[in-house]
Amino acid sequence: MRKYWQIVKITFEEYFEYRLNFLLWRFRNFVSFLTLFFFWLAIFGSRGELLNYQKSQLLTYVVGVAFLRSIVLASRSVDLSGQIRSGELTKLIMWPLGMLQYWFSRDLTDKVLNIFFTIFEIGLILAIFKFPLYFPKNQVTYFWFLLFVIFGVFLYFFISFTIAVVTFWVDEIWATRWLFGIIFLEFFAGAFFPIDILPNWLTKIIYLTPFPYLVFSPLKIWLEQLSGFMITKAFLVCLAWLVFFWRLSLSLWERGAKNYGAYGG
Amino acid sequence: MEDNKNLKFQISNLRLLRVWLKMSSMAAQSQLLTNWAGVMFLVGKVVRFLMFFLFLFIVVGAVGSLVGYNRQQVILFFLIFNLIDITTQFLFRGVYQFRQSVVSGNYDIYLVRPLPSFLVPVFGFMDIQDFITLLPLAFYLGWYLNSGSVTITTINFLVFLLLFANSLVLAFAFHLFVCSICILTTQIDPLVWIYRDLTNMARFPTDIYQKGIQLVLTFTIPVIILITVPAKALLGLLSWQMIVFAFLISGIFLFGSLKFWQYALKRYSSASS
Repeated sequence: MRKYWQIVKITFEEYFEYRLNFLLWRFRNFVSFLTLFFFWLAIFGSRGELLNYQKSQLLTYVVGVAFLRSIVLASRSVDLSGQIRSGELTKLIMWPLGMLQYWFSRDLTDKVLNIFFTIFEIGLILAIFKFPLYFPKNQVTYFWFLLFVIFGVFLYFFISFTIAVVTFWVDEIWATRWLFGIIFLEFFAGAFFPIDILPNWLTKIIYLTPFPYLVFSPLKIWLEQLSGFMITKAFLVCLAWLVFFWRLSLSLWERGAKNYGAYGG
Repeated sequence: MEDNKNLKFQISNLRLLRVWLKMSSMAAQSQLLTNWAGVMFLVGKVVRFLMFFLFLFIVVGAVGSLVGYNRQQVILFFLIFNLIDITTQFLFRGVYQFRQSVVSGNYDIYLVRPLPSFLVPVFGFMDIQDFITLLPLAFYLGWYLNSGSVTITTINFLVFLLLFANSLVLAFAFHLFVCSICILTTQIDPLVWIYRDLTNMARFPTDIYQKGIQLVLTFTIPVIILITVPAKALLGLLSWQMIVFAFLISGIFLFGSLKFWQYALKRYSSASS
């Protein structure tokens, strides 16, 4: 455990080495938040409710997306692809470290830093605009929300790790990550807008993918818009995807590592 | 004498066009080599377009209007955003690869060629995938304008064409500025991505933002001049003062960018070569 704590510390120091890159990354996230925030403010205008969301609920959703981007979608395991391609992985696999644990430790550092900055940025906007946020009325909601967020963190980690490991076989990994790890993920996870405003048939298809359980489901739970039955159903589907990607990432890693040619290393 | 000068200018431009076409053909061939990646990029671009289109259609349809624009107008803003965004990506994708040339010192090879020094850095890598997405988009936009969804007059359309060309000049100025920064600092990605994020803010009519943000989007990275102004011109919502202002801003940016490029070029150290 101590060695992974050291990984966390080293990753933390790396961020302070490349401060500008991190600050620019935060700036990009902030711009993305501002765009959505002002769009929804303009859409609501003086309306109280729209598309089954109260104004406070939808603005809470936008703020929630910003936080869950930091908690769930912030990740460093994307770097694994570059390490496989460059041959740098050779150095890593010679260390007495579990690969999943190593990358998860780096992910955790990334998440902690991102959460810290998100609190500051969103806090600033909330202080300026002073709009009411929606807080759950039922205590058990907090428990379910927290559980879904933890599941989301692991699910995203295994999805991201799986995509990265594909680099063992595919040279052009950026296209795969862009399609599945950015486009599908951001739209189908509800990171741009709540997916239940889309036509019913499309929403049903999206529910079958692993993506809604990363952002959309936890936020719907927070907004108390899911019944007990729906939460249980979402939980089981999320669990199934989690087990699937955990097994898939491990299996692909084991096969890939056996065939690893250390190109460029 | 004057005729002779004009002829030389035309021949020179034709030569540049031929060089650009040759570079573009080579870039297209290298992109088409990785078929699977190309298909995934295309699918992603189409999905992103359709999802945002559907989103705007549903949300603006539910409220009737967005900051005074009806659904058809908001969709037109979105289409113009895509047209300008994809055209600039298609033309200026070379910028994304310029850092590698600077870091490796390979840029020397291009500097000794009898070509404008910015040709390869800015125009050196045409993106065929953007070109493929641009064609159906332009076709759909043409159909949309003809369908009567929004009222477009001939004069507004002509002003739009001029402002569209102005946007490309402005985008060129920005990309050249980024290349200059790259020569001085060897960094390019963060600036390009900030540009992309800020232009994404114009996916919706920029009137939704507070006045302070609108000022930033007019004078820092002039996203409003780049995207919102041509769209408003098409709808006939632009005063002549704003049209003049748009050309003026582009002119200032182009002049500043060319000067800065010359400055950066003098400091190019040809590292690693």
